[in-house]
Amino acid sequence: MTNSRQAIFDNVRAATKADVDRYEDIPRNYIRAGGLDSQGRIHLMTERLHEYGADVVECSSADIRQTIFRQLHLGKKHQIVIPAGLLPAWLDSGANWLVDQNLTHEQIEACDGVLTASSAGVADSGTIVLHHGAEEGQRVISLLPDFHLCVLRASQIVETLPEYFSRFPEPPRLATYISGPSATADIEMTRIKGVHGPRFLSVIIVRDDF
Amino acid sequence: MRASLFITCYNDTLFPQTGRAVVRLLERLGVDLDFLPAQTCCGQMHANTGFRGEAYSQAKRFVQLYRDTECVVIPSSSCVAMIRDQYAGLFEELGNEGLRSQFAALLPRVFELSEFLTDKLGVDDVGAHFPHRVAYHASCHGLRGLHLGERPFRLLSRVRGLKLIPVANLDRCCGFGGTFSVKNAEVSTAMLDAKLVDLLATDAEYCTALDNSCLMHVGGGLHRRNLNMKPIHLAEILASTEGPAG
Amino acid sequence: MSGPVMDPRLAPPFPQAALPILQNTQLRKNVAHATDVIQTKRNRLVAEKQDWQQLRSAAAAIRAHVLANLAHYLEEFEKNCTAAGGVVHWARDAAEARQIIIDILREEKATEVIKIKTMTSAEIQLNPSLEKAGISAVETDLAELILQLGDDEPSHIVVPALHVNRQQVREIFARRMSLPQLPDDPEALAAAARTYLRKKFLSVPTAISGANFLIAENGSVAIVESEGNGRMCLTLPRTLITLAGIEKVLPRFSDLEVLLQVLARSATGERLNPYNSLWSGVVPGDGPQKFHVVLLDNGRSEILGRKVERQTLQCIRCAACLNTCPVYRQTGGHAYGSPYAGPIGAILTPQLEHMQHAQSLPYASSLCAACYEVCPVKINIPEVLIDLRAKVVDQEREEASRWTDPMYMGMKAANFVFGSASRFRLAQRFGKLGLRFFTDKDGWIRKLPSLGARWTLSRDLPGMPDQTFRDWWAEREARGGKEAR
Repeated sequence: MTNSRQAIFDNVRAATKADVDRYEDIPRNYIRAGGLDSQGRIHLMTERLHEYGADVVECSSADIRQTIFRQLHLGKKHQIVIPAGLLPAWLDSGANWLVDQNLTHEQIEACDGVLTASSAGVADSGTIVLHHGAEEGQRVISLLPDFHLCVLRASQIVETLPEYFSRFPEPPRLATYISGPSATADIEMTRIKGVHGPRFLSVIIVRDDF
Repeated sequence: MRASLFITCYNDTLFPQTGRAVVRLLERLGVDLDFLPAQTCCGQMHANTGFRGEAYSQAKRFVQLYRDTECVVIPSSSCVAMIRDQYAGLFEELGNEGLRSQFAALLPRVFELSEFLTDKLGVDDVGAHFPHRVAYHASCHGLRGLHLGERPFRLLSRVRGLKLIPVANLDRCCGFGGTFSVKNAEVSTAMLDAKLVDLLATDAEYCTALDNSCLMHVGGGLHRRNLNMKPIHLAEILASTEGPAG
Repeated sequence: MSGPVMDPRLAPPFPQAALPILQNTQLRKNVAHATDVIQTKRNRLVAEKQDWQQLRSAAAAIRAHVLANLAHYLEEFEKNCTAAGGVVHWARDAAEARQIIIDILREEKATEVIKIKTMTSAEIQLNPSLEKAGISAVETDLAELILQLGDDEPSHIVVPALHVNRQQVREIFARRMSLPQLPDDPEALAAAARTYLRKKFLSVPTAISGANFLIAENGSVAIVESEGNGRMCLTLPRTLITLAGIEKVLPRFSDLEVLLQVLARSATGERLNPYNSLWSGVVPGDGPQKFHVVLLDNGRSEILGRKVERQTLQCIRCAACLNTCPVYRQTGGHAYGSPYAGPIGAILTPQLEHMQHAQSLPYASSLCAACYEVCPVKINIPEVLIDLRAKVVDQEREEASRWTDPMYMGMKAANFVFGSASRFRLAQRFGKLGLRFFTDKDGWIRKLPSLGARWTLSRDLPGMPDQTFRDWWAEREARGGKEAR
């Protein structure tokens, strides 16, 4: 196998011998930062989330726990899997929480929904960004259950995709960008929601920008 | 204003009426037009089919022939695209420094017909009269190669009595594609059928374009299917001062 | 019925392969409908994006930069992926790639493997060799599942089953999933697929994926998808194998800010696809604990070394060129005899075959350049097509059969004729004489021999006019030029 590696590198190097092409010379005249203020970003984020059928509510920092509970109850979601690092203050005792500590896939599969925080929101595309840290949990918990309730702080919302990347100069080890419910258009181009992955996404935008 | 007409090999042989119309039109506009009889072909057919060395020899002829001309007018957007897009590469690969610089000096003096009218002569109204319903087909080379944009539309809009009817899927290829029309005759025909659907939906009397290559294909299809629409090169419409082109 | 031939070494030439498809009105309708839907969405979102051309320029420049520095970025990716717990393998060609993958699967004692759609695995013909090795490969993309259960082949890079309609899908699922009562509405069909695949996701411990991008900066892999089967395959199994062409590298994580924007709009007409997943190596407590990357050359380093052709490797597999191509619109993907169809297929396939096969593909184009206009990384596909045609003709120049090929001989004759004005005039006179025989009384030609018959298949030709332009001009000059009217 080392021979293959060497052969490939030899061929590649021979093919690019005379090339001089610097990373710094790449033209980047595209839009980097948007011009919206916080209210504008929230408005755009909400519009995009609605466009793809996600549910959106706003609340103040003080009301996170009640809002979470209300959204779960509204959706009649009973057993909710949660990452181990979620703030206890978010967790109303009236709901049935299952903390992800070495849960099996079957146990996660049996839950009605999942609650996570987020790492960022990109308003332009209505994208929820998860980096799967302690408050978001391992990737499978936001994948198997049918309902995903996601808490996104207003201060985490950027307008454009390049803004997200400039906020995170250290690349995350893991990332999932959610810009819609799972969907397919493979049958006659008819868009169908929810082939795999959660069919229902609900977002709580916390007004921590006040 | 002096200009030299490069008629193109296929116009010369199959569509001389287009050439006559260009002469009538440009002389009416006060252009002192000449025609160098040594001309033959720009080399596009060979270049696009993969006969590069052969295309080069034709390109060389063209550049040497027009070396000292004030400007060259060509009633075929695909031939101009050939000159603009591929000549430099041919001379780079197969030519010498002398030819390369000769070509570089000539290039800005080569014009497709509608460009010559709107950009060089600065006219949209050429004094034409053509009281008919007309559909315009945007040849791919003119559209994407030369970025002719609004030029043909501006010229058509000033033709007295002409009713221009928009065509659906205007920018979709008619299926000619040079030797493609023969090498892939069945697919070319399927594309032709689709284009005819869009053209016939306009109920126009004439289909016009800046390239007789497309019009030969579309017109040949119309005639085979016994349809009433007639092909006509834009030059013939612009040259017309009373009724249908002569 | 045997499926369409997707092996470039065995597929019939494009004009021949297209024939049965041109008769298939249903397929052509499906193709036209599907490509219209995607194009409409794409055009709307591109019009909305004020900096679309700037993004295209940046995307093209990033991809060109990577290719010019490919050795450096491959080294960086390997180093960082390995440091993150991944195992990097190198495959010179398809056979080596298949062997590496089978060896890994054997070590894992895998009898079944779940797959995310990857054109690269079709390129190396992986599934049949897995079957031979006693390993069953389960496609988890809905379209690939439809094709696999239907013994069919993909006809589009992004929407592979676009040639199949709902009744046909219903029939396939009813039969292969034993669901005789299954209705044919898309929701029911998708639900059937969801149930069928859920069992697989939760039980099969090995997965194979492709990659949309490899990030050199931190050795991570990016996969873009809509359905969620990708996320399933990337997180549930114990072992993950990612197969990727060496050209898939990007320098930095932040370069995704450009590529993701142009890819989503071009591929599916969305601002971003529903799910984008990124991972680096192995992360304890999250997802597969064994991760392999198989980097594939298979002709790419050869393409890299050619000045005009190198841009072929900039492709990010969005299929916008397919969606806009007026030729593809009429034939769909099967006529190209390759997993890579449409304009990109016409230039990539023959090159991956070292120009020994699929030589008809560079001619499967009218050179309209619609593809170049929409390509998010600005590949000048017509320029490459023309260059490949020159390579095909150069091969022909060495072959004895050229003397009896009417196209070849016609081209040589035409070149001879164009070499001098007097020869050209002579040819015009002879042509007129010769064509007289084929010209009907009304001045039209309806049937020609040899190559001409291909024209008159569907088109008439006006008979040659009495006087050429140059003769008319000469006569006018003789009469006194412009003043003689």
